[in-house]
Amino acid sequence: MTNPVLQINHLQKKFGHFQALKDITFDVRPGEVFGFIGPNGAGKSTTIRVLLGIIRASGGTATVFGQNVWSDSVSIHQRLAYVPGDVYLWPNLTGGEIIDLLLKMNGTAHSAKTDDLIKRFGLDPTKKARTYSKGNRQKVALIAAFSQDADFYIFDEPTSGLDPLNERIFQEAVLDLKTRGKAVLLSSHILSEVERMCDRIGIIREGKIIETGSLAEMRHLTRTMITVTLGDDFDVTTLAGTHGVTAGHQPHEWQFSVEDAQLSTVIDALSQHQVIALQSTPPTLEDLFMHYYTGKE
Amino acid sequence: MSRYGRTGQLIRLNLRRDRFRILMWVILLAALMTSVAWKFEGIYGTQSEIAAIKGTLASPGIVAMFGAFSFTGKVTTAEIFANEMLLFMALIQVVMNLALSIHATRYEEDLGITELVRAHAVGTAAPLAAAATELVLINGFLGILYSLGLTAANMPGASIEGDWLIGLGLASTGLLFGILGLLTAQLADHSAGATGLAYSLFGLSYLARMITDVQHPHLTWWSPLGWVEKLAPYNQPNWTPIWLSLLSALVLAELAVLANNHRDLGAGAITTRPGRRTASIFLRGPLSLIWRRQRNVIIGWIVGIIIFGVAYGTVFNTIGDILKTNPTMQQVFGTAMVHEANHKVLLSFTSLLAIIMAAVAVIPGMQLILKLHSDETRGWLEALYARPLSRTRLLFSYVGTAFITSTLAYIGGLGGIVVMGDASLKHVQDGISASEFWQGIWAQLPEIWVFLALSVLLVGCWPRLKALSWFYLALGFISVYMGSLLKLPAWVKNLAPSGWMPRVPQHEMNWTTFSWMVVLAIVLVIVGWLGYRRRDLHMS
Repeated sequence: MTNPVLQINHLQKKFGHFQALKDITFDVRPGEVFGFIGPNGAGKSTTIRVLLGIIRASGGTATVFGQNVWSDSVSIHQRLAYVPGDVYLWPNLTGGEIIDLLLKMNGTAHSAKTDDLIKRFGLDPTKKARTYSKGNRQKVALIAAFSQDADFYIFDEPTSGLDPLNERIFQEAVLDLKTRGKAVLLSSHILSEVERMCDRIGIIREGKIIETGSLAEMRHLTRTMITVTLGDDFDVTTLAGTHGVTAGHQPHEWQFSVEDAQLSTVIDALSQHQVIALQSTPPTLEDLFMHYYTGKE
Repeated sequence: MSRYGRTGQLIRLNLRRDRFRILMWVILLAALMTSVAWKFEGIYGTQSEIAAIKGTLASPGIVAMFGAFSFTGKVTTAEIFANEMLLFMALIQVVMNLALSIHATRYEEDLGITELVRAHAVGTAAPLAAAATELVLINGFLGILYSLGLTAANMPGASIEGDWLIGLGLASTGLLFGILGLLTAQLADHSAGATGLAYSLFGLSYLARMITDVQHPHLTWWSPLGWVEKLAPYNQPNWTPIWLSLLSALVLAELAVLANNHRDLGAGAITTRPGRRTASIFLRGPLSLIWRRQRNVIIGWIVGIIIFGVAYGTVFNTIGDILKTNPTMQQVFGTAMVHEANHKVLLSFTSLLAIIMAAVAVIPGMQLILKLHSDETRGWLEALYARPLSRTRLLFSYVGTAFITSTLAYIGGLGGIVVMGDASLKHVQDGISASEFWQGIWAQLPEIWVFLALSVLLVGCWPRLKALSWFYLALGFISVYMGSLLKLPAWVKNLAPSGWMPRVPQHEMNWTTFSWMVVLAIVLVIVGWLGYRRRDLHMS
């Protein structure tokens, strides 16, 4: 097993009396896309800013490539690419100039790959940044990041201003990074995007990581939705281990949810009653998200 | 919905948004005016004091700085007051108006707030009308405060009419330039451009009044800034300048509305053109980035200050010719003495100008240093932080550019004065020699550096207090500019670095002072640098 690219241990950050980060622990390994999700104000961007050495942690440790994020930030940034959530660009420079400048500051240069990305994202690089829309500003930052040959990529809600076509190009580019063994930290609100791309997910709430793991692992923590049509008059509400049982639209049709631990007992019990149809739906990331935030399934 | 719909609501919103700004300006200006008026009888109360200062005020060097005023008959304390304060207060009030007007219009538009406002049931010209009304209210209120303050101070020789003339005259001049700011806000397509354009026009009217004042005072009517001098509040009260200012303000306001109607939101009459597809090979790091972003501003300042200096230089032949004011002198003292006296006058004039040039030269450098913080809060540096770029390098890119800009600006300004001044003289030996010029340069540079170093300290350690830099510069400038005319005590002049060095080249250069001021500047920069490396960076 290779060493993690990013390692965060019990990270804390206080702004005056306000404890923005209480306990953040997770890691990101090479060749994996790590999804970082949580509602507004939970501490996603604060965590990322600590990782970039923009703000200093008040407790705990964070390392990238085994180096301290605060004191070794310059050498870390040599191999890191970052796209902020709100991209602010120098208003009197053109997009093309900004992309080149950002690349040069990492010791790389404008390459055929850069031109290719500009074409694929459909950016007009001759326009002054003052005239770009939010999506176009994000494209500038994304093009600069993807044409850089880094080992660790951090994206902070990178697609919030992109149209669906460009969002797809972004996803392809991220999957390409993954196949090349790069590590990616993706903070996002778009849960379908995270579900599709991320190998592992960390959920943050009020400055604490409350869950990390793969989507499959997390699904075990919640209930599976089941819709069943039976051949007799069995009343499913009497069955132990089920939750939220409702009668369906058809006669003998029932909908309920089951905890994974109870699944085999419930299925055994149902099989006594001539199952005609059975549909099981694993919880989506959205269900998981709601589960963690509202305490309901 | 009329074009001015909901202007009233926007005015209330503007006043609430700017309440601290307005309060600060109004209190500062009104207190300055009233306290000087209050103390003035103590400074120039007796006839002998008045007679002494009257001669000084008539000398071309002071005329260039404070304006030409004609004295007839028995001169009173109030007349001296008007002579010393009118133009000076007008300058500060114009600065206030330009800051407020562009902040209320173009700056809000840059931030996207105007877009948000205009999306509601608000007239197309309402934001502009609200800003104009805000300016009328502030200037009017300040004018009334001035008048009441002057009436209360009741200087010998003052009249109620004169008091009101000063208050309303300053108010109308301020308003005129405020409305000019509104117009440039419609022409340029971002706030920095609008500010630059407005200040260029302001500078032009200042230069026009200076040159005409020294040579042909009746031509000063052609500069709007010269109108305040024509009020003559305590000898021959004249209301024409007020009507002229208000009329011009009305015309400019009409033009601003016209420009506003004919442009898209977010665009100006002077539009942004497309630029380079790729970066030039010179654009490669933080230093070249600052240059690329700020080159127009930096070059503009340096060229502007040189022109400013050259304009001052053109009056050397008038100032440095004692025979013009005192024709019998040559017969009494002989040619050598006359040249000696001319040289002395020019030295003292140059020393005074050096202070002004130094204060002006600090401005672009200070802006650059404070920009390090405003770029930080506006998120423009976030992309840079994620690069392999140390904070030390980032800080010194800004600070280095700032120090070089201010230093060059000062050398250019003083150089402009001396080169143009010497060239305008009939007898070169009357003028400033090369060694005197360099003494003047070395004497003021440490002052410039200490001011800049203080800004580095604030941005590095306490960025929230960065506005103190401007206060301190203003304090330093006012204490030396007005210090001797208002007979301020020595400790006031010593509050700011501008008062630490003797007036050079009029006096000898003090190298001990030079050394410790340079050391102080270095220490402040180092402390600021250490602070900047340690603190959290702020992000919007």
